[in-house]
Amino acid sequence: MSAYIEWRDVHKAFAGKPVLRGMSLAVTKGEVLFIIGTSGVGKSVTIKHLIGLLPIDAGEIWFDGERVDELPERKLAPLRRRIGMVFQSSTLFDSMTLAENVALPLRKHGGMRHAAALDEARRRLAQVYMEEHAERYPAELSDGMRKRAAIARTLAVGPAGPAKPGQLHSGPEVVLFDEPTTGLDPVSARRIDRLIRELATSLGVTAIVVSHDPPSILGIADRVALLYQGVVHVVATPAELRASADPIVQQFIGGQSAGPMETPGF
Amino acid sequence: MRQAVANVGAGALRVAEEVGGIVILTGQTLRALVPPRVDTRELVKNLYKMGNRSVPIVVLTAFFAGGLMTLQTGPFVKKLGATALAGWGAGYAVLREIGPILIALMFSGRVGANNTAELATMTVTEQLDGLRALAIDPVRFLVVPRVLAMMVMLVALTVIGDLVALTGASVVGHAMLDIEWSTMFHSFADNLRPYDFLHGVYKSIAFGAAIAMSSCYFGVTVRGGAVGVGRAVNAAVVAAAVSIMLLDFFLTYLTG
Amino acid sequence: MTRFAETIGDAIVAAVRAVRDLWLVYVGTVAGLVRKSRVPHRGEVARQLYAIGNRSLVFVIVTLGFIGMVMTYEACLQLSRVVGDYTQVGPQYLRLVISDFAPTLTALMLATRVGAGIAAEIGSMKVTEQIDALRMSGVLPIDYLIVPRFVASVIMTLVLSTVGGAVMYAAGGLTAQYSFGVNPNNFYGLQFVRPRHVVMMIVKALSYGAAIPVVAGFCGLRARGSSEGVGWATTAAVIGSSFAVIVLDFVISAAALFVTGGDL
Repeated sequence: MSAYIEWRDVHKAFAGKPVLRGMSLAVTKGEVLFIIGTSGVGKSVTIKHLIGLLPIDAGEIWFDGERVDELPERKLAPLRRRIGMVFQSSTLFDSMTLAENVALPLRKHGGMRHAAALDEARRRLAQVYMEEHAERYPAELSDGMRKRAAIARTLAVGPAGPAKPGQLHSGPEVVLFDEPTTGLDPVSARRIDRLIRELATSLGVTAIVVSHDPPSILGIADRVALLYQGVVHVVATPAELRASADPIVQQFIGGQSAGPMETPGF
Repeated sequence: MRQAVANVGAGALRVAEEVGGIVILTGQTLRALVPPRVDTRELVKNLYKMGNRSVPIVVLTAFFAGGLMTLQTGPFVKKLGATALAGWGAGYAVLREIGPILIALMFSGRVGANNTAELATMTVTEQLDGLRALAIDPVRFLVVPRVLAMMVMLVALTVIGDLVALTGASVVGHAMLDIEWSTMFHSFADNLRPYDFLHGVYKSIAFGAAIAMSSCYFGVTVRGGAVGVGRAVNAAVVAAAVSIMLLDFFLTYLTG
Repeated sequence: MTRFAETIGDAIVAAVRAVRDLWLVYVGTVAGLVRKSRVPHRGEVARQLYAIGNRSLVFVIVTLGFIGMVMTYEACLQLSRVVGDYTQVGPQYLRLVISDFAPTLTALMLATRVGAGIAAEIGSMKVTEQIDALRMSGVLPIDYLIVPRFVASVIMTLVLSTVGGAVMYAAGGLTAQYSFGVNPNNFYGLQFVRPRHVVMMIVKALSYGAAIPVVAGFCGLRARGSSEGVGWATTAAVIGSSFAVIVLDFVISAAALFVTGGDL
């Protein structure tokens, strides 16, 4: 039986320079999987491939038993309602308040009217401890607050109606996080970590997190995949990683600039 | 020499690519209109924003343009003693050509450029990808309301601007050439037909479409950070200006 | 009530400040020119001449050509309804092309192309703090950035106006010939052109050429924020320079009317 999400031998190059060279990774349902590696190694590219924001050059990507890498833009909407993504720059719309931002998918996918959607949006912002800022604009808030609001917005997407049997909520079954704690102060970062963990444990969401923040990685990950030189170098639990004798793993987790890792560009 | 030819070739290819891209975006926009499910909130928001911004500058421009036309044609007409035709000279040019073109150019500079800047900034800050990730079609949500708002606004502005320009023509005629108000008014009424007015309005519909599509296209296809945004705005206004001139040419010949 | 007065007051103060800053940029540019006349940035001026002239040439030719055709078509169409005599069209048209249309339309096209380009370039430099870096290495931004563009724009606007005017006139002649059967000998004639028309063209072209880079550079230097600020600066530059061209056209034409005692 194949995995819930799977990248099979994916290749991707930008302007002739290869980034992913046969990357393969399998994700089980309900787990929190971290994808780690140095800057530019292709982590963000990997998750963007999953929802079709970038096309792959070769290989296959599978989700829930179906192949998804060759879907045309028009057919990607159902996929994107099941797999949500929280971007690094949180991508909230500057011209709308937080409540309006979260209300947007509720209106478009949940078919709610504007007033009802705003109410529901405030409720969801409360779930991420942001309800007192619901009427403020993204530009007025700190990065950590924007991140939380963005998570609330991503969770507001989903097929209309109540949760399907076996699902704990009607939002996306999978959420991708692109560097959720980068640039945040340590307290906010741990809050985000806790939020991600809660999503997995209480709502059954599968979380795939791109990160290079060791406290996050070692704190909430079920499994960790290290991307190096275009392929998945190793996939292991945090405990296994910490105990690993592999010098490359050691260098990354220890955060050392000297070591066997090649970092192109430095 | 060969380099020059290569440059021309490269330039032509780039223009072809842009034209192709705009055509594709136009197709996507049209398809999103059938069935017409537009985000009304976005539409209203844009109508308000674009109208608000552009009315002052269009009114001022139209006033001066009308005055200019009188300055050009007035003395000539006066010398011939045919002051009754003063309004005709200025008015005809204003309604059919100067009005729609100048107003469209000003609109492109004010609203079109601003729109490109907004969309480009959204693209650069990944907000557009964010929309896609929320399974919301950016064309339907962002582009279509703006295109509709721009077309409606330009027509409204052209109508208002035409009237202001005729007023400006009269004011200048009176103040600088001592042509009586009533003379101007009568020469407008006698020599200008409703069709002349409509001719300008038809043109403004076409201009509006050209400005809107060009503005949105360069906004969403921007690449690079702040520099890219500036370049996108530049490209959008230039493309709009060329389209306006070309469309004016074809429409004039086709509809007489 | 007082709130309303305050808002208007604020707006007026902001406008006055803006005009004053714009004037300062203009003065700074002229001062830079005078200063630089002993140490000219020849390379930079040449580069700007190329940037403005070469790349706008096709654009100006195409747009002015088409609009020349349209204007002649419209004029002949209207004349055919009223008078039926085309002999005066060409020479009158030439007078208008020289004294008004060529410089003004060329400048309007350049305001979009060149104005936007200058504001975009300078604006991006401002938001990426390159302008501050310039200041810190002892270079006056106005001298380095605006003055070369100023010189190039003044020269190029005149050159392009001439080329554009010629294209407009020729295109008009072709239209008149093929659509209305006007004899080229009748169309191409200098009867109505007086020296003052050429003077007006030169004055206008030089004024427009001076106004566009000053306005555009001013907008670029005021850019704030990031990409959004650059977008704002570019938009403001296009509008500002276009409007400046139109107002200058009006002012110069009115002045000419006044000077010649009502005889254009």
